[in-house]
Amino acid sequence: MLPMSVPLLDYVALSSVIFFIGVAGVLIRRNPLIVLMSIELMFNAANLLFMAFSRAWAHNAGHIFAFLVITVAAAEAAIGLAIVVTVFRTARHVDVDDVALMKG
Amino acid sequence: MTHYQMGNPGSYPYLLALWLLPLVGAIVAWAFGPQLKRLAGPLCSALLGASFVATLLSWHDATQSVATGAANLVGAHQALVSWIPGFNFGLLLDPLSLLWTCIITGVGFLIHVYSIGYMEGDNAFARFFAYLNFFVFAMLTLVLSDNFVGLLVGWGLVGLASYFLIGFWFYKPSAVAAARKAFVINVAGDVGIMFAIFMIVASVHSISYGDVFGSVGSLSTPWLLAICICLFIGAAAKSAQVPLHTWLPDAMEGPTPVSALIHAATMVTAGVYLVARCAPLWSQSPDAQLLVGSIGGVTALAGAILGCVQWDIKRILAYSTMSQIGYMIMGVGVGAYEGGVAHFFTHAFFKAQLFLGSGIIIHALANEQDVRRMGGLVKKLPFAFVAMLVGVLAICGIPGFSGSFSKDAVIYGTLQHGHPVLYAVGILTAGITAYYMFRLLFVTFLGAYRGEVDPSDLGIRHPELAGTHTAHDDHGHDAHHAPAWLMNVPVGILIVPSILAGWLLFGGENSPWAHFFAQQFPQATLATPAVSEMTTTLIVLACVAIGIAIAWRRYATRDAQDTAVERLRTESVKMPAILANAFYFDAALDLVFVRSSQLLGTLFGRLIDPQVIDGAVRETAFSAQWLGTFVRSFQTGLVRAYAFILVLGVACFLVYYAVTAGGLH
Repeated sequence: MLPMSVPLLDYVALSSVIFFIGVAGVLIRRNPLIVLMSIELMFNAANLLFMAFSRAWAHNAGHIFAFLVITVAAAEAAIGLAIVVTVFRTARHVDVDDVALMKG
Repeated sequence: MTHYQMGNPGSYPYLLALWLLPLVGAIVAWAFGPQLKRLAGPLCSALLGASFVATLLSWHDATQSVATGAANLVGAHQALVSWIPGFNFGLLLDPLSLLWTCIITGVGFLIHVYSIGYMEGDNAFARFFAYLNFFVFAMLTLVLSDNFVGLLVGWGLVGLASYFLIGFWFYKPSAVAAARKAFVINVAGDVGIMFAIFMIVASVHSISYGDVFGSVGSLSTPWLLAICICLFIGAAAKSAQVPLHTWLPDAMEGPTPVSALIHAATMVTAGVYLVARCAPLWSQSPDAQLLVGSIGGVTALAGAILGCVQWDIKRILAYSTMSQIGYMIMGVGVGAYEGGVAHFFTHAFFKAQLFLGSGIIIHALANEQDVRRMGGLVKKLPFAFVAMLVGVLAICGIPGFSGSFSKDAVIYGTLQHGHPVLYAVGILTAGITAYYMFRLLFVTFLGAYRGEVDPSDLGIRHPELAGTHTAHDDHGHDAHHAPAWLMNVPVGILIVPSILAGWLLFGGENSPWAHFFAQQFPQATLATPAVSEMTTTLIVLACVAIGIAIAWRRYATRDAQDTAVERLRTESVKMPAILANAFYFDAALDLVFVRSSQLLGTLFGRLIDPQVIDGAVRETAFSAQWLGTFVRSFQTGLVRAYAFILVLGVACFLVYYAVTAGGLH
């Protein structure tokens, strides 16, 4: 293990906080843009953990996974935004709860 | 006792030819009927004649007997199709099938020639001959098959051919009904044989006669009895035995040559063939023999009694046929195979002759079939009179005529095999036979012609109703008539064997007949009856004389002839209901089978199908619908709700792992 100026558990604590902020954002907010941003928060919380453990254990797999996550997040954001734009075009406003066409 | 092994294997082109020629005729006449027109008749007749010649050419092969080891191989065996072991198909021509083949092709040929004259002017001339040849092919398949499945195929096909020909004039509702009735009852018999085959295959693992008869000893008694009963259900349905006989009188709706060929000479004797062929089975099952013999006796008696009260000339002959087949079944049933088979042989000639003779009358009288409207025909149709007279003498068993030999052989055989009751029934029936046949002869030919008498004066209630009593052959008579010799010559030829065929039995154990079948049937130890054969013949003759005397007193004396119209009316009107309704067999069959089936159908239609079957389907559909409604309620469409459930699930996992791993450190 390489010497670290900040203890590993602090990274984990920070990551957890960011992740639960993201979860709360997804569950509470109704603006899809905010929801997407909250999802980004969760992604990046995961990335932070990848980085921290990669550094702590001197293993490069964490770096590689972080890049993968960034790529997926970018794609997800692109699709999410496209959906938001499409919904806005038809409904003239965007609200996550109003998009309930699949209600059984 | 393995002498009933299958015949000598080999290649027998004549055997194949005699079997396939009628099929060729059927196909050609069927496919090219419109092109052949009137040629179809001569063509089909010629093919059948060639088939008869091939039969005669096969005579030597069929009667050859080659000793191989312990067994004597009798006859010719031509392998056709090899399937899995035990399920091979082939043709077997031994003395028994040779006898049937000779009758089918020989008498069949004469009836074909007769039909050219009789059916002249019918619009469906070619179709008629296609059916006739098809029937012959089917019947040959039945008797030539070397195994039970081939027999069943032939059995079913002759039923189909019979259906086609009874319903030949399909525009007559009564003919269609009769055809349907015959077919249904025959199929009931087919099912019986099918079950017999199931049981045979289950126990012997083979369908060939040789294998089955060779392993009779290994079958248990009840199992063998069950097989025999199932086989006999088939035989009874085909051979019009009580209580499955009701289709035969109705089958007279078909053209008269058909009645002669199928419903007198050949097809209806298939049951006799089956019992004779399966003699090794029956010989090991005395209970089955008693059953078959008794049913034969009951049929002989019932047919004869009902023959006394019929007015339709063809129905009289139909009941007479039923009665005579009863004799044959009685003979082969009790074990007197040679006698039963001999009665088939002679009956084929004299009954075909009687039918063809009646056909001449019907043809000449523009389709009149009611004997009450005939009378005095001896002057008009002397040839028909001679033909009918010979037939009647033969069927009554007048000494010297063919019937006497075979009928006495059957009657005496029942006594030899220890059945005195059947012996008495046979003698009684012989007397009744003489009565109704001479009644037919006297009413038809003596007295004055009654064709111009008002039908109601003769006691004919519904002359306009084509149906049970006045079914008419109404084929077109506008066309020119065929030469009379076409109809007369076959009848004339048949007179010869009608008189002489029985002489083959002359000489008892040294007769040509006994020699012919020497290696065919299992020999039983015979009792020496107290009554000798000669005494039997004399008793039968006495009964016959009484029968003739009664018929003479009622129909032939000068006084009876002068008052014929009144007497016939009285007899028609005062006929007992039980006889007029043929012992209520139709009603009983209707009650037992038709009504019960209808009841079962109603039960299923009203209760089982709508409630149980439909209910199950509906319940399945309802439960699926209910489940769908329930599950649908989870689909709120709210993305945040889904996300919440997801988080909840992940939280559950986390708690689980936290607990099982002992918490975070």
